[in-house]
Amino acid sequence: MAAITPSEPVSTSTQEIHTKKMWKTLVGHVPISSPFYQFHPVTRLYLFVFLGVVPLFIFVPEINFLLVLVSMALMLWGRADLRGLRIYAPMVVTVAIFMFTVVILAPGKDPTYTPLHMSLITIYYQPVFFTFAAYWRLMAMLSGTILYFSTNRERDMLVALRAVRLPFVASYVIGLSIRAAGMFMEDFRTIREAEQARGLDTKAMRISDQVKLYVMYLVPLFSIALRRAEEISNALFARGYTVTGRVKGGGQRRDYIRSLYAIRTRDVIAIVILISLFVGAGISNLFFNVFVITDSPLNIYLRGVLNIP
Amino acid sequence: MSTDATTMTAEGVWAVEEGEIRSPGIIHVVMLALFTGIGIVVGTFGSLAIPIGFVSAFWPGQAVQSIGSIWFGWWGGIAAGLFPLISNSLSGSAPLPVSIAYLPANILQGMIAGYAFRRLKAHPALVHGRDWSIWILWGALVPNAIGAAWGSTMLVAFGLVTQAAQLITFLGWFVGNSIPTIILGSIILKFVSPLVMRSNAFVKKWWA
Repeated sequence: MAAITPSEPVSTSTQEIHTKKMWKTLVGHVPISSPFYQFHPVTRLYLFVFLGVVPLFIFVPEINFLLVLVSMALMLWGRADLRGLRIYAPMVVTVAIFMFTVVILAPGKDPTYTPLHMSLITIYYQPVFFTFAAYWRLMAMLSGTILYFSTNRERDMLVALRAVRLPFVASYVIGLSIRAAGMFMEDFRTIREAEQARGLDTKAMRISDQVKLYVMYLVPLFSIALRRAEEISNALFARGYTVTGRVKGGGQRRDYIRSLYAIRTRDVIAIVILISLFVGAGISNLFFNVFVITDSPLNIYLRGVLNIP
Repeated sequence: MSTDATTMTAEGVWAVEEGEIRSPGIIHVVMLALFTGIGIVVGTFGSLAIPIGFVSAFWPGQAVQSIGSIWFGWWGGIAAGLFPLISNSLSGSAPLPVSIAYLPANILQGMIAGYAFRRLKAHPALVHGRDWSIWILWGALVPNAIGAAWGSTMLVAFGLVTQAAQLITFLGWFVGNSIPTIILGSIILKFVSPLVMRSNAFVKKWWA
């Protein structure tokens, strides 16, 4: 499918088609008319780095909660298919269960901790609130990551990495590995369907046999990967590709895929804003002790209610 | 006539024959990418299968890490470091900064097995009892102990778990990685190694 560049003129009838067509992103689908695609892939990569890393400088759960909302709002704005996010639901719940169970069972032995006697157990305020703040920090970082993978394709990632001048071999390996993950899943489906066509009924199998069967799927999959490696490397060799990306006889190979995308004024403005916010948050936290857990309004309120100094 | 890989001696597997020229090439780069792709799928499904917080109760990705370095030397080691960056992001089990902090341990989790198999001359197809013991000790238990120690320390450093919770996190991580590594890794090595050893992508030294 041809790339739709931001500068490409779009007629009304083409617009109608675009609203129905979807890009397959790394973990979902997004309409090709999504406003995200009005920005260069490198701008989206900066957004990913910002949302994925800036919570490290913020230990105020309210702000991290807002960052989660920002990521969700961006997903809605970008018209991402939110049904794909269901796969993360068990993770979101079990992470909370794990973190709070661990901190209740192993709160530590600091004498300054304030015990709170519940009906059956005693919990300690400081480690529990620390865990609460850590949970929202984690959720903020994860939502930024999920946003990126929900709204970008392997191709967007490749263009973004090349735009930041990552060496050819590194960007090629990352791009091919993500594509290979998709091919690997396709092969997996083919093998399963071939077995089912021969009458294999996995529902009638014991769980131990199902696990054994699952493991045995890997044998043909690795065989296919080996054969594919030979084919791809022969194809690359035939087209004159080298590990360095240089053309024999000197010079660099023209980067066709990157030439399809142009960085525009809106990209520059967005990148400057993201970098400024990122640096601002980092300096505020590291040098001026801002965005720390004691700044949390909820923490201040609870300490007041519980008479904790 | 080609020799059956399983009938080769362990020393013979790693020995470079007289006149045999081995140099890294495009096939190794492609294999690195494809192996990383396999790792992404196995790692993502492992993280989503039985998640218990930042660790999974079943993470077969470590098997792929150890196997990769046994078969492909440093190319497998690079894949071992690279694929968790992507699979952790796709599965939502760890954000990117934390995954980057895991990087040294992930490379070690892969390379320890590769180093041990080359240094101790173990057969990748696990032909003898000695090969099995080297695999279980240096391919599963030691790498996972190091990985779990480093990973749980990073979680404390990032303020995601308290110091007091580190031991529980370590144990969950170690068990959750070791059991699938031993089960899955053993089967893959036993059945797929003979195929890999016959391919051009197999690495006898470190890079070729």
